[in-house]
Amino acid sequence: MKEKGKNKDESVNLQRTPKGDGIIRFMRKKSYFYHNCDVCKAYLFILPAMLAFAIFMFWPIIETIYLSFFKWNMVKPVKEFVGFKNYIEIIKNPVTYKVLVNTGQYILILLLINFIAPYILSFVLSSIIRKGKNLYKAVLFLPSVISLVVGSILYTWILNPVSGPAALIAGKIGITLPVWSKTEGLVIVVLSLITSWKVFGYNFIVILSGVMGVPQEIIEAARLDNVPSHRVFLDIVLPMSSATGIYVFIITIVQGLQYVFTPIKVITQGGPNNGSANLIYNSYKEGFLLFSTGTSSAFSMMTMVLFIILLVLEFKYVERGVYYEN
Amino acid sequence: MWKGVYTMKIKLNGRQWGWHIFLCLLVMFLLAPILYAISTSFKTLSDATNNVLSLIPEKFSVESYKSVLMRIPFIKITTNTFFIASSVTLFKIITSVLAAYSLVYFRFRGRNALYFILISTMFIPFTVTMIPNYLTIGKLGLLNSSWGVILPQLADALGIFLLRQSMRTIPRSLIEVCQLDNIGHLRIIKDIVVPLIKPSIISTGIIFFINSWNEYVWPVLILKTEEHFTLSLALQMFINAEGGTDVTVAMAISVMTMILPLALYIIFQRFIINTFTQSGIKG
Repeated sequence: MKEKGKNKDESVNLQRTPKGDGIIRFMRKKSYFYHNCDVCKAYLFILPAMLAFAIFMFWPIIETIYLSFFKWNMVKPVKEFVGFKNYIEIIKNPVTYKVLVNTGQYILILLLINFIAPYILSFVLSSIIRKGKNLYKAVLFLPSVISLVVGSILYTWILNPVSGPAALIAGKIGITLPVWSKTEGLVIVVLSLITSWKVFGYNFIVILSGVMGVPQEIIEAARLDNVPSHRVFLDIVLPMSSATGIYVFIITIVQGLQYVFTPIKVITQGGPNNGSANLIYNSYKEGFLLFSTGTSSAFSMMTMVLFIILLVLEFKYVERGVYYEN
Repeated sequence: MWKGVYTMKIKLNGRQWGWHIFLCLLVMFLLAPILYAISTSFKTLSDATNNVLSLIPEKFSVESYKSVLMRIPFIKITTNTFFIASSVTLFKIITSVLAAYSLVYFRFRGRNALYFILISTMFIPFTVTMIPNYLTIGKLGLLNSSWGVILPQLADALGIFLLRQSMRTIPRSLIEVCQLDNIGHLRIIKDIVVPLIKPSIISTGIIFFINSWNEYVWPVLILKTEEHFTLSLALQMFINAEGGTDVTVAMAISVMTMILPLALYIIFQRFIINTFTQSGIKG
């Protein structure tokens, strides 16, 4: 009973000094060892989630690394160890370079539409227009809840070069639409647009919340000094919302490349002549269409390394030295 | 001086109007596909090919919907999709609440490292886990079954992230007082934590449901026969890159697929947007 009272006091103290000084920390640590096995309970509570992660996330990562050193086709009883041969093969293969260039193009277009454009729009909405924010947010987010397969169907019809609405409107002004699904270069632009239809809204509301976190007084002060809008955006808003900004930047690349898989698979199957395949699609193709688990795993590892580099960059440059809202 | 203020105001208004017009165009551009899909799905085939641009059907027809019901076992497929999406939602909410509670209110060695590892998995491309998961599901004998689609979707850190975020808003002392009164953790979760963060749990659940409803990549690898298909896979059978011979039918099934997520979004719009907004703010 006595002890309980003491502990209650302690928790009140902790409230006042959130970080706690040495003595309180020490007492707390001690009391947490007193109170039966809390650590066991902690692990027990996290166990169901960890079980799913162990079986369907951590183990598969290890197995994919393992598989990338073997030649196998998913059915053969024996896997043949080949060392780094799978990696050497994909480095030697000219298709890999094409796929890498495509991946780079996808990244650039996705960033332009889903990172730069929403950033500018957020700034406009938060400090130039100021009205109708919630309405625009709600409406622009709407396509994000729709399946990309639906998006792919809708856009293949709308952009059908002969009978689609877009072709008819273009025809009225005397333009014939190219067969985009068979035109290299253009196909990447259109598939990125279809993906952006879904991704744009999410990125927009997240960036908007970051931009709104910038104190209005600072922007007002700059306004009074007649600082032009683009300078306010580049010198004040951008650096002060960079924590959110970098998060969206990375998410756009990581999720965008995976989202774009759906329209590639549904509409072009990587064609024409690998013109629309990206790293993700190539892993899928090698694994489930050509049944070459080694090559597929090597491609997957390549993608993962790319994403990990992004993640490390985030932690290195962003988590420090960035202005956090709140 | 007054003149200066006056002209500035006018100029600002002009600029505001310009941006409003731009945003409205953007909204139209994003919503047009949905509106066209709905209107075309109610057109007759000849109407759809002759009056492509008209948004109002010449004659209101449900032929295309009947045709969908005839061609695929639509009810079975919808049931599958619903079963998968709701199971994934239920399991993920339970595991995420428990894990988030553990990560917020227990102090144990490696807690931050564990959280960091879990969150990092959101940056792992699905291709890395695709082949091993396919093999695991094969070994469990779950290929071509709903459970084979459900299980791998449970390894997702989004819920842990979102729920941890909102659990941190509950005053720590409240939970500590309960712990000192010897109330069991499960009861604390049930009677205190869950009621307090109900809005987050609901919207996280809706996000899970919509995501799983729309899931395409994993089902396409696992499911082989029509009677096990989900809506996304059934849709794919109506895609025709070259010509739109079956436009009305393709649009009908598109509408049938998107109607539930859209309805959920429209009803819970504010919840969902708030939760997603939170997901970008780190803590």
